[in-house]
Amino acid sequence: MTTEQTIKEEVRKRYGKAATRARESAADGGCCGGKGDGNAISSHLYTTDEIRDLPQEAVVASLGCGNPVAIAELREGETVLDLGSGGGIDVLLSARRVGPAGKAYGLDMTDEMLELARENARKSGVTNVEFLKGEMEDMPLPDASVDVIISNCVVNLSPDKDAVLREAHRVLKPGGRFAVADIVTRGKMPSALKRSLELWAGCVAGALSEDEYRSKLSAAGFGDIAIEAVREYTADDAASGGLGELVQRYAKKGAEHLGIISAVVRARNAGGADTKPFAQTSGRLPEPIPVVASQGSVCGPGECC
Amino acid sequence: MRKDKDFLDILVCPMDKSPLELTVEEEAGDEVIRGYFTCTQCSERYPIEDRIPNFLPPEMRKAAT
Repeated sequence: MTTEQTIKEEVRKRYGKAATRARESAADGGCCGGKGDGNAISSHLYTTDEIRDLPQEAVVASLGCGNPVAIAELREGETVLDLGSGGGIDVLLSARRVGPAGKAYGLDMTDEMLELARENARKSGVTNVEFLKGEMEDMPLPDASVDVIISNCVVNLSPDKDAVLREAHRVLKPGGRFAVADIVTRGKMPSALKRSLELWAGCVAGALSEDEYRSKLSAAGFGDIAIEAVREYTADDAASGGLGELVQRYAKKGAEHLGIISAVVRARNAGGADTKPFAQTSGRLPEPIPVVASQGSVCGPGECC
Repeated sequence: MRKDKDFLDILVCPMDKSPLELTVEEEAGDEVIRGYFTCTQCSERYPIEDRIPNFLPPEMRKAAT
């Protein structure tokens, strides 16, 4: 197997296990019961209103690091594609926003997640969603066929991020929007710390820095690129993930922030006349959406429970 | 997957992006349970297994089995 295939196999295994855990945990009423709200990455992302009518399995299986639907400015009748749709939470939320005249498609390569997503769609009764097994580096969709691409902490998992962004640009209609939550690194940090933080955050293939993300989006043909921090993870977050000692050893003395953030990454296929920029947010997005935990979050792709 | 025209129209071969032809082997109502898509250009077949079309590239499908 090539290195790329090995990474994909690792991702598939981790997320396959996570889907199984989500299913079991939803049946038990929450997996990490005694551990508070789960990990620092995937908890507190959705509002009570958003998740009220969703199947528990969809909420529990959410391993995202943001809420892309909240920033995608979806309109009725639009076609949305979710890269790495997992248990389907963002596809189901998108389906509601675009209404019966719109469509929400989920692309994923993990059987267990696809199965879970399909069940969740059935339980929630939405009919304008479909799930596809495939790779985001080779999307089975024609050019200019999608209005909006969303994704929740998945682009970082790809061993070939240039291919993902090139494909995203290809399938987007002129003027189409890319609205993605992802883990991004900031500034320089020792490589041992960087790698451990990435693994803690579930970034199997390595996270991009803000600058790298920007230049790769631009090389793929995107315009109106904006990368905004939603949460900046702290030494305490990492310590709660078991990285306390490592952080003490490598992080700058007294550093509160570790140089790893969850960000919203937005860009536009600049090929059309509709190049109205995204509505400006005021510098930073609202801090962790005031919420209810995604109850019993599965504690990230790493081991938990 | 449903035999929904919008959905079928939006699918292409992940490798050469050519149109696909659908062959249904088992269905329930408007849902395809088992079958396959064939690329009209490269003739690659993409199976539909347990209602979900599998568009992994051929070498990934082999690696996964």
